[in-house]
Amino acid sequence: MRPSLRELLTAIAYEANRTVGGGLVSIELLRRRFTASGWIDSAVHGVFIAVSRFTPGTVVLAYVVMLGWRFHRWRGALPALAAASIPGSLIVLALAATLAEIDRYAAVRALLAVGILVAGVLVVGSAWHLIRPYLEKSEGPPEGGHYVSSRMRVLVVGAIAVALVLLGATPVRVLLAAAVVSMAMPARGTPEGVPYVEK
Amino acid sequence: MNALPIYLLLLKATMTSFAGMGSLPQIRQDFVETHQAISDEQLSQAVLVGRATIGPMGAYVVAVGYFAGGWPGAIAGWLAMITPALVAIPVLTLVQRWLHLRRIRAAVDGVIIASAVLLVGSGAVLTIDAIQQLIRLKS
Repeated sequence: MRPSLRELLTAIAYEANRTVGGGLVSIELLRRRFTASGWIDSAVHGVFIAVSRFTPGTVVLAYVVMLGWRFHRWRGALPALAAASIPGSLIVLALAATLAEIDRYAAVRALLAVGILVAGVLVVGSAWHLIRPYLEKSEGPPEGGHYVSSRMRVLVVGAIAVALVLLGATPVRVLLAAAVVSMAMPARGTPEGVPYVEK
Repeated sequence: MNALPIYLLLLKATMTSFAGMGSLPQIRQDFVETHQAISDEQLSQAVLVGRATIGPMGAYVVAVGYFAGGWPGAIAGWLAMITPALVAIPVLTLVQRWLHLRRIRAAVDGVIIASAVLLVGSGAVLTIDAIQQLIRLKS
Protein backbone atom coordinates (compact mmCIF):
# COMPACT_ATOMS: atom_id res chain seq x y z
CA MET A 1 0.00 0.00 0.00
CA ARG A 2 1.17 3.52 -0.76
CA PRO A 3 -0.22 6.70 0.79
CA SER A 4 -1.10 9.67 -1.37
CA LEU A 5 1.09 12.72 -0.90
CA ARG A 6 -1.66 14.36 1.10
CA GLU A 7 -2.10 11.33 3.37
CA LEU A 8 1.65 11.11 3.84
CA LEU A 9 2.10 14.75 4.79
CA THR A 10 -0.96 14.80 7.04
CA ALA A 11 0.31 11.75 8.93
CA ILE A 12 3.83 13.15 9.28
CA ALA A 13 2.69 16.64 10.32
CA TYR A 14 0.38 15.15 12.95
CA GLU A 15 2.61 12.43 14.40
CA ALA A 16 5.86 14.41 14.37
CA ASN A 17 4.35 17.40 16.13
CA ARG A 18 2.10 16.11 18.84
CA THR A 19 4.39 15.34 21.75
CA VAL A 20 7.23 16.73 23.79
CA GLY A 21 10.26 14.57 24.51
CA GLY A 22 12.03 14.78 21.18
CA GLY A 23 12.24 13.02 17.87
CA LEU A 24 12.58 9.45 19.15
CA VAL A 25 9.04 9.64 20.50
CA SER A 26 7.81 11.04 17.21
CA ILE A 27 9.48 8.15 15.38
CA GLU A 28 7.59 5.66 17.55
CA LEU A 29 4.31 7.45 16.84
CA LEU A 30 5.12 7.51 13.13
CA ARG A 31 5.95 3.80 13.23
CA ARG A 32 2.61 3.00 14.84
CA ARG A 33 0.68 5.10 12.32
CA PHE A 34 2.51 3.84 9.24
CA THR A 35 2.52 0.16 10.20
CA ALA A 36 -1.14 0.30 11.24
CA SER A 37 -1.96 1.76 7.82
CA GLY A 38 0.08 -0.97 6.12
CA TRP A 39 2.39 1.58 4.49
CA ILE A 40 5.58 0.17 5.98
CA ASP A 41 6.45 -2.94 7.96
CA SER A 42 8.79 -3.43 10.87
CA ALA A 43 11.67 -4.43 8.59
CA VAL A 44 11.49 -1.18 6.63
CA HIS A 45 11.19 0.71 9.91
CA GLY A 46 14.33 -1.03 11.14
CA VAL A 47 16.35 -0.01 8.08
CA PHE A 48 15.07 3.56 8.35
CA ILE A 49 16.13 3.63 12.00
CA ALA A 50 19.58 2.30 11.11
CA VAL A 51 20.09 4.87 8.35
CA SER A 52 18.69 7.79 10.36
CA ARG A 53 21.05 6.92 13.23
CA PHE A 54 23.98 7.28 10.84
CA THR A 55 22.67 10.51 9.31
CA PRO A 56 24.00 13.70 10.88
CA GLY A 57 21.59 16.03 12.64
CA THR A 58 18.16 15.33 14.02
CA VAL A 59 17.20 11.64 13.80
CA VAL A 60 13.46 12.13 13.23
CA LEU A 61 14.04 14.50 10.32
CA ALA A 62 16.19 11.91 8.54
CA TYR A 63 13.45 9.36 9.25
CA VAL A 64 10.67 11.46 7.70
CA VAL A 65 12.84 12.30 4.68
CA MET A 66 13.14 8.57 4.02
CA LEU A 67 9.39 8.10 4.46
CA GLY A 68 8.73 10.84 1.90
CA TRP A 69 11.41 9.50 -0.43
CA ARG A 70 10.09 5.94 -0.30
CA PHE A 71 6.63 6.87 -1.55
CA HIS A 72 7.06 10.04 -3.63
CA ARG A 73 10.81 10.63 -4.09
CA TRP A 74 11.77 14.32 -3.84
CA ARG A 75 8.14 15.39 -4.15
CA GLY A 76 7.55 13.57 -0.87
CA ALA A 77 10.91 14.01 0.90
CA LEU A 78 11.08 17.81 0.92
CA PRO A 79 7.47 18.48 2.00
CA ALA A 80 7.83 15.73 4.62
CA LEU A 81 10.85 17.54 6.03
CA ALA A 82 8.87 20.78 6.15
CA ALA A 83 5.83 19.10 7.71
CA ALA A 84 7.93 17.59 10.50
CA SER A 85 10.02 20.65 11.27
CA ILE A 86 8.02 23.84 10.67
CA PRO A 87 5.32 23.60 13.38
CA GLY A 88 7.80 22.95 16.19
CA SER A 89 10.19 25.57 14.85
CA LEU A 90 7.45 28.19 14.77
CA ILE A 91 6.59 27.50 18.41
CA VAL A 92 10.28 27.64 19.37
CA LEU A 93 10.58 30.92 17.53
CA ALA A 94 7.47 32.37 19.15
CA LEU A 95 8.68 31.42 22.62
CA ALA A 96 12.18 32.73 21.94
CA ALA A 97 10.84 35.97 20.48
CA THR A 98 8.63 36.65 23.49
CA LEU A 99 11.28 35.36 25.90
CA ALA A 100 8.47 33.54 27.62
CA GLU A 101 9.59 31.98 30.86
CA ILE A 102 7.61 28.86 30.28
CA ASP A 103 8.91 27.05 33.32
CA ARG A 104 7.89 29.78 35.75
CA TYR A 105 4.59 28.13 36.68
CA ALA A 106 4.48 24.89 38.68
CA ALA A 107 1.51 23.62 36.68
CA VAL A 108 3.43 24.05 33.42
CA ARG A 109 6.46 22.28 34.89
CA ALA A 110 4.25 19.41 36.09
CA LEU A 111 2.60 19.07 32.69
CA LEU A 112 5.99 19.02 30.98
CA ALA A 113 7.29 16.42 33.42
CA VAL A 114 4.28 14.16 32.78
CA GLY A 115 4.71 14.64 29.03
CA ILE A 116 8.38 13.70 29.24
CA LEU A 117 7.54 10.69 31.42
CA VAL A 118 5.13 9.39 28.80
CA ALA A 119 7.73 10.12 26.13
CA GLY A 120 10.33 8.09 28.02
CA VAL A 121 8.02 5.09 28.23
CA LEU A 122 7.22 5.36 24.51
CA VAL A 123 10.92 5.46 23.62
CA VAL A 124 11.69 2.36 25.69
CA GLY A 125 8.70 0.65 24.06
CA SER A 126 10.02 1.50 20.61
CA ALA A 127 13.25 -0.38 21.44
CA TRP A 128 11.20 -3.53 21.96
CA HIS A 129 9.58 -3.14 18.53
CA LEU A 130 13.02 -2.99 16.94
CA ILE A 131 14.32 -6.07 18.72
CA ARG A 132 11.20 -8.23 18.56
CA PRO A 133 11.51 -9.37 14.90
CA TYR A 134 14.97 -10.76 15.69
CA LEU A 135 13.71 -12.65 18.72
CA GLU A 136 10.76 -14.09 16.81
CA LYS A 137 12.86 -15.51 13.97
CA SER A 138 12.95 -19.21 14.65
CA GLU A 139 15.76 -20.30 12.36
CA GLY A 140 18.93 -21.47 13.97
CA PRO A 141 22.37 -21.89 12.48
CA PRO A 142 22.51 -24.46 9.64
CA GLU A 143 24.61 -27.57 9.85
CA GLY A 144 28.22 -26.63 10.07
CA GLY A 145 27.37 -23.55 12.09
CA HIS A 146 28.64 -21.01 9.59
CA TYR A 147 25.77 -18.63 10.20
CA VAL A 148 24.51 -16.99 13.35
CA SER A 149 20.91 -17.10 14.52
CA SER A 150 19.04 -13.84 15.05
CA ARG A 151 18.78 -14.41 18.79
CA MET A 152 22.50 -15.00 19.10
CA ARG A 153 23.11 -11.79 17.16
CA VAL A 154 20.86 -9.86 19.55
CA LEU A 155 22.70 -11.37 22.50
CA VAL A 156 26.23 -10.67 21.26
CA VAL A 157 25.66 -7.27 19.64
CA GLY A 158 23.35 -6.15 22.43
CA ALA A 159 25.89 -7.10 25.11
CA ILE A 160 28.66 -5.22 23.31
CA ALA A 161 26.44 -2.17 22.83
CA VAL A 162 25.45 -2.15 26.51
CA ALA A 163 29.08 -2.47 27.55
CA LEU A 164 30.14 0.41 25.29
CA VAL A 165 27.30 2.61 26.56
CA LEU A 166 28.33 1.89 30.15
CA LEU A 167 31.93 2.74 29.24
CA GLY A 168 30.74 6.13 27.99
CA ALA A 169 31.22 5.59 24.24
CA THR A 170 29.38 8.03 21.95
CA PRO A 171 26.31 6.70 20.10
CA VAL A 172 28.09 6.77 16.75
CA ARG A 173 30.93 4.65 18.12
CA VAL A 174 28.44 2.22 19.62
CA LEU A 175 26.67 1.89 16.27
CA LEU A 176 29.92 1.49 14.34
CA ALA A 177 31.16 -1.18 16.72
CA ALA A 178 27.83 -2.99 16.45
CA ALA A 179 28.00 -2.87 12.65
CA VAL A 180 31.54 -4.27 12.58
CA VAL A 181 30.84 -7.03 15.10
CA SER A 182 27.60 -8.00 13.40
CA MET A 183 29.29 -7.97 10.00
CA ALA A 184 31.62 -10.65 11.30
CA MET A 185 28.56 -12.84 11.94
CA PRO A 186 26.99 -13.49 8.50
CA ALA A 187 23.21 -13.38 8.35
CA ARG A 188 21.26 -16.41 7.29
CA GLY A 189 18.89 -16.21 4.34
CA THR A 190 19.00 -15.67 0.61
CA PRO A 191 19.17 -12.26 -1.04
CA GLU A 192 15.61 -12.77 -2.29
CA GLY A 193 14.54 -13.26 1.27
CA VAL A 194 15.55 -9.77 2.31
CA PRO A 195 12.19 -8.19 2.99
CA TYR A 196 13.17 -4.57 3.08
CA VAL A 197 14.88 -4.09 -0.27
CA GLU A 198 12.75 -1.69 -2.25
CA LYS A 199 11.65 -3.12 -5.57
CA MET B 1 25.48 38.55 12.98
CA ASN B 2 24.40 37.91 9.37
CA ALA B 3 22.27 34.98 8.33
CA LEU B 4 24.92 33.29 6.17
CA PRO B 5 27.58 32.87 8.88
CA ILE B 6 24.83 31.82 11.30
CA TYR B 7 23.73 29.16 8.83
CA LEU B 8 27.28 27.95 8.23
CA LEU B 9 28.18 27.81 11.93
CA LEU B 10 24.94 26.04 12.85
CA LEU B 11 25.35 23.69 9.90
CA LYS B 12 28.83 22.81 11.12
CA ALA B 13 27.31 21.92 14.48
CA THR B 14 24.35 19.93 13.12
CA MET B 15 26.41 18.09 10.48
CA THR B 16 28.85 16.88 13.10
CA SER B 17 26.27 15.67 15.61
CA PHE B 18 24.02 12.63 15.55
CA ALA B 19 21.17 13.59 17.87
CA GLY B 20 18.97 16.58 18.55
CA MET B 21 21.01 18.05 21.39
CA GLY B 22 24.32 16.62 20.20
CA SER B 23 25.18 19.90 18.52
CA LEU B 24 25.09 21.85 21.79
CA PRO B 25 28.83 21.78 22.68
CA GLN B 26 29.84 23.01 19.20
CA ILE B 27 27.18 25.72 19.21
CA ARG B 28 28.30 26.94 22.61
CA GLN B 29 31.90 27.01 21.42
CA ASP B 30 31.09 29.00 18.26
CA PHE B 31 28.27 31.31 19.36
CA VAL B 32 29.04 31.95 23.02
CA GLU B 33 32.81 31.71 23.29
CA THR B 34 34.34 32.41 19.86
CA HIS B 35 31.92 34.92 18.31
CA GLN B 36 30.06 36.02 21.44
CA ALA B 37 26.91 36.33 19.35
CA ILE B 38 24.70 35.06 22.18
CA SER B 39 25.09 34.74 25.93
CA ASP B 40 25.10 31.55 28.01
CA GLU B 41 21.73 32.62 29.37
CA GLN B 42 20.28 32.90 25.86
CA LEU B 43 21.69 29.48 24.99
CA SER B 44 20.05 28.01 28.10
CA GLN B 45 16.78 29.71 27.13
CA ALA B 46 17.04 28.23 23.63
CA VAL B 47 17.64 24.73 25.02
CA LEU B 48 14.74 25.07 27.46
CA VAL B 49 12.40 26.26 24.74
CA GLY B 50 13.50 23.40 22.47
CA ARG B 51 12.89 20.82 25.17
CA ALA B 52 9.49 22.17 26.09
CA THR B 53 8.22 22.33 22.54
CA ILE B 54 6.55 19.64 20.45
CA GLY B 55 8.60 18.01 17.73
CA PRO B 56 12.34 17.44 17.53
CA MET B 57 14.54 18.83 20.31
CA GLY B 58 16.98 19.89 17.61
CA ALA B 59 14.60 22.77 16.88
CA TYR B 60 16.42 24.71 19.59
CA VAL B 61 18.86 25.82 16.87
CA VAL B 62 16.05 27.98 15.50
CA ALA B 63 16.04 29.89 18.80
CA VAL B 64 19.85 30.11 18.72
CA GLY B 65 19.64 31.58 15.23
CA TYR B 66 16.97 34.03 16.34
CA PHE B 67 19.01 35.23 19.32
CA ALA B 68 22.09 35.64 17.12
CA GLY B 69 20.49 37.32 14.12
CA GLY B 70 16.76 38.00 14.51
CA TRP B 71 14.27 36.61 11.98
CA PRO B 72 16.86 35.95 9.24
CA GLY B 73 18.91 34.12 11.86
CA ALA B 74 15.89 31.99 12.79
CA ILE B 75 15.41 30.99 9.15
CA ALA B 76 19.13 30.20 8.92
CA GLY B 77 18.73 28.05 12.06
CA TRP B 78 15.80 26.16 10.55
CA LEU B 79 17.74 25.53 7.34
CA ALA B 80 20.76 24.32 9.33
CA MET B 81 18.48 21.94 11.23
CA ILE B 82 16.88 20.38 8.14
CA THR B 83 19.88 20.28 5.77
CA PRO B 84 21.68 17.26 7.29
CA ALA B 85 18.50 15.14 7.02
CA LEU B 86 18.87 15.14 3.23
CA VAL B 87 22.04 13.06 3.62
CA ALA B 88 19.71 10.18 4.54
CA ILE B 89 18.62 9.73 0.92
CA PRO B 90 22.01 8.81 -0.62
CA VAL B 91 22.79 6.70 2.47
CA LEU B 92 19.48 4.84 2.13
CA THR B 93 20.05 4.35 -1.60
CA LEU B 94 23.48 2.82 -0.95
CA VAL B 95 22.18 0.61 1.85
CA GLN B 96 19.33 -0.67 -0.32
CA ARG B 97 21.71 -1.32 -3.21
CA TRP B 98 24.01 -3.41 -1.04
CA LEU B 99 21.45 -4.96 1.27
CA HIS B 100 21.43 -8.22 -0.70
CA LEU B 101 25.00 -8.81 0.49
CA ARG B 102 24.99 -10.91 3.64
CA ARG B 103 27.72 -8.91 5.35
CA ILE B 104 25.95 -5.61 4.72
CA ARG B 105 22.66 -7.05 5.89
CA ALA B 106 24.39 -8.29 9.02
CA ALA B 107 25.89 -4.83 9.61
CA VAL B 108 22.45 -3.21 9.28
CA ASP B 109 21.03 -5.78 11.68
CA GLY B 110 23.79 -4.90 14.14
CA VAL B 111 23.02 -1.20 13.87
CA ILE B 112 19.31 -1.86 14.45
CA ILE B 113 20.05 -3.93 17.57
CA ALA B 114 22.46 -1.30 18.91
CA SER B 115 19.88 1.40 18.15
CA ALA B 116 17.44 -0.45 20.38
CA VAL B 117 20.01 -0.47 23.19
CA LEU B 118 20.56 3.28 22.73
CA LEU B 119 16.80 3.84 22.73
CA VAL B 120 16.47 2.10 26.09
CA GLY B 121 19.18 4.41 27.43
CA SER B 122 17.51 7.54 26.04
CA GLY B 123 14.11 6.46 27.30
CA ALA B 124 15.51 5.72 30.75
CA VAL B 125 17.15 9.16 30.92
CA LEU B 126 13.88 10.85 29.93
CA THR B 127 11.90 8.82 32.46
CA ILE B 128 14.32 9.45 35.33
CA ASP B 129 14.47 13.15 34.46
CA ALA B 130 10.67 13.40 34.51
CA ILE B 131 10.37 11.52 37.82
CA GLN B 132 13.00 13.80 39.41
CA GLN B 133 11.11 16.86 38.18
CA LEU B 134 7.86 15.53 39.64
CA ILE B 135 9.55 14.78 42.98
CA ARG B 136 11.01 18.31 43.08
CA LEU B 137 7.60 19.79 42.35
CA LYS B 138 5.99 17.76 45.11
CA SER B 139 8.58 18.70 47.76
